[in-house]
Amino acid sequence: MQHAFAPSASHPQPQQRQFNPYSENGGTILAIAGANFSVIAGDTRQSEGYSIQTRYAPKVFRLTDKAVLATNGFAADGNMFVKKVRQRLEWYRHAHAKDMSLRAIARLIQTMLYARRFFPYYVYNILGGIEEDGSGAVYSFDPVGSYEREACRAAGAAQSLVQPFLDNQIYFKNQTPAPGTSHPAHLPLNHVLSLVIDSFTSATERHIEVGDGLEMYVVLAKGTPLQGLDAIQGITEMTATDDGERMFIIRRNLKRD
Amino acid sequence: MASVFSAPGFDFSNQLRNNFIAEKGLPLPKATSTGTTIVGCLFEDGIVLGADTRATEGPIVADKNCEKIHYITESIRCCGAGTAADTEFTTALISSNMELHGLTSGRKPRVVTAMTMLKQMLFRYQGQIGAALVLGGVDATGPHLFTIHPHGSTDKLPYVTMGSGSLAAMAVFESGWQANMTRDAALQLVKDAIAAGIFNDLGSGSNIDACIITASHTEMLRNVEMPNVRVQKERQYGFRRGTTAWKSEDVRNLIVSEEITLLAGGDEMDTT
Amino acid sequence: MDHIDFQQLKSGEVNLGTSIMAVQFADGVVIGADSRTTTGSYIANRVTDKLTHVHDRVYCCRSGSAADTQAVADIVHYYLQLYSQSSGAPPPVHTAASLFQKLCYENKDALSAGIIVAGWDKEIGPSVYNIPLGGGLFRQPWAIGGSGSTYVYGYCDATYQEGWGRDETINFVKNTLALAMSRDGSSGGVIRMCVITEGGVERLFVPGNELPKFWQGTEVLSPVKGKAVPEPQVVPMTVE
Repeated sequence: MQHAFAPSASHPQPQQRQFNPYSENGGTILAIAGANFSVIAGDTRQSEGYSIQTRYAPKVFRLTDKAVLATNGFAADGNMFVKKVRQRLEWYRHAHAKDMSLRAIARLIQTMLYARRFFPYYVYNILGGIEEDGSGAVYSFDPVGSYEREACRAAGAAQSLVQPFLDNQIYFKNQTPAPGTSHPAHLPLNHVLSLVIDSFTSATERHIEVGDGLEMYVVLAKGTPLQGLDAIQGITEMTATDDGERMFIIRRNLKRD
Repeated sequence: MASVFSAPGFDFSNQLRNNFIAEKGLPLPKATSTGTTIVGCLFEDGIVLGADTRATEGPIVADKNCEKIHYITESIRCCGAGTAADTEFTTALISSNMELHGLTSGRKPRVVTAMTMLKQMLFRYQGQIGAALVLGGVDATGPHLFTIHPHGSTDKLPYVTMGSGSLAAMAVFESGWQANMTRDAALQLVKDAIAAGIFNDLGSGSNIDACIITASHTEMLRNVEMPNVRVQKERQYGFRRGTTAWKSEDVRNLIVSEEITLLAGGDEMDTT
Repeated sequence: MDHIDFQQLKSGEVNLGTSIMAVQFADGVVIGADSRTTTGSYIANRVTDKLTHVHDRVYCCRSGSAADTQAVADIVHYYLQLYSQSSGAPPPVHTAASLFQKLCYENKDALSAGIIVAGWDKEIGPSVYNIPLGGGLFRQPWAIGGSGSTYVYGYCDATYQEGWGRDETINFVKNTLALAMSRDGSSGGVIRMCVITEGGVERLFVPGNELPKFWQGTEVLSPVKGKAVPEPQVVPMTVE
């Protein structure tokens, strides 16, 4: 930082300039799969450097009644990618008169990402929803299309803060069960929601790019009871079709500093 | 002959070594920086200084409630932005020298004295000491407010801001500052300026510290505003005793017992 | 904020700068400067005083790195105090200028400082010395400096005449700086001037909304007839 009022002369020196098409817009996303539900969440702050571009820019998007896509990284690429995935899903609907299954969407996303192998979408994707067998599922992707089905995944700015917490609380890593007991394979919905909220309030405390707002999508498998979802204040149902999977969104405020 | 000769001035041989190590792919450790909002403001009978309380290491919050208003003398204080260690050590060193200066001269040292010491030290280090300071205080010649940049340049102004949140804070000052404000109005303006930094600059956050310096009295208002208290957690994260696995157990007795036998003879202390 | 070293920037791409000036006349000198100090594109100080006292009748105009020029001026100020205390008389302007030149020349690798020294002394009367970037020393009847000066060399060459009085010289400085500030994006704010004569130093101040106006482009842009744009009422800030 040169603090100056400059003289007219200057020493010419060789310089190289290059256009950089990417930037990093902060924020964090996370998804957890339950036995018959899936929770996909993201904060709503979008930033560049030390500036907040907006306090509300969604990073989590409804694709179908049973699929939700969270994107994180370069926001412009993320939005464009979601737009193109949605377009492909609509073509599929017109061709086959049904919604694409979750595992098919996951494979579609892989091919779409790899198609740009040498000019990638600068985005980490997490796809959450319900499989055809009614189980909750989470798929996570790298920017060029490598993917994997998992029970939980965090990505983005605070990945290194949140993922170890999830490993400990979901996979019970580094926790020996009490003698004669074992850890549960799946956690109930209210438990998962509280872990998601605590993940984001904690990430907000310790990461400067996380904050402002939290959006949590909940996808319930066909015929699953609400499990106390109706008691949550500020919950909105987003389901489009009858007697299929049901989708809800829960919004919370996060700290704005 | 070479062994007894040492060149005058600083020894920069470590820089060569550090560059070599960095080239090999091990960059220098990152210092904690106070990506900061700090401000100062002149009012009718003194100075108000203000600061946020967030310290960062890259994008991670290293300290949620650190103190950025440093003591120089009873009636001179200094807000620091930039490399946390540099601001702490430079202010501590100048504080110490100001105390000695006061003792040798028999007078209360002035704000310009602190400013001159700071700028001469920072200039000597050619910007290598990353301290960006807001210095304020009241002395025999009245209230004074300065900014000191890392390269050693100074500005004297009636309202100043520094750090990554300085633009947000300066916007508040440029629209709200007036000459000869009351103490309360100046404190409110400073709080608003710091709040602008806290909420609009990612490098700044948490609470507001302020310090009001007048000719007769210095009032340090630590955490005068706390607009960012954490909400209660949804769950308790206590762990059952025995959660952590272990491979072997070894219990040791750390109590040392000793028996002392007194020998006959007049060795005891006379306690009469 | 990123590290911006203006010496690395090509001239004309991002211009960080200043406009400074000094002119001698029969009874003394008039020195002047704009008031802008920048850090990258941010104006760190919009009311800077670049006319720096180094002795009773000797001042300097600073351009370049604020830190470097302040440090150099502080050192010269110190030497001139020693000089006047030990010799019992105020230093000649040339002595001050030589000190500046020595510091700027011997430390040219470490400094970016373009300085104009001006003042009045008993032996010579009024004089102006220019010390550009490499540490040269040139006595001139008038000198301009800083990034804004490149825009007004032609104006100065065409306008300056010998034998002016105080008021004409002040007007020349004021007009030149206003023109430089209007063309150079990194100069601006207010105009500060000093008139240094045997009798004393008089400080002059021109607020930003009272700068001399030249061609404004209104003939080309022609505002809507009958709708005069009102001048905003600006209250000048009190600065010591």
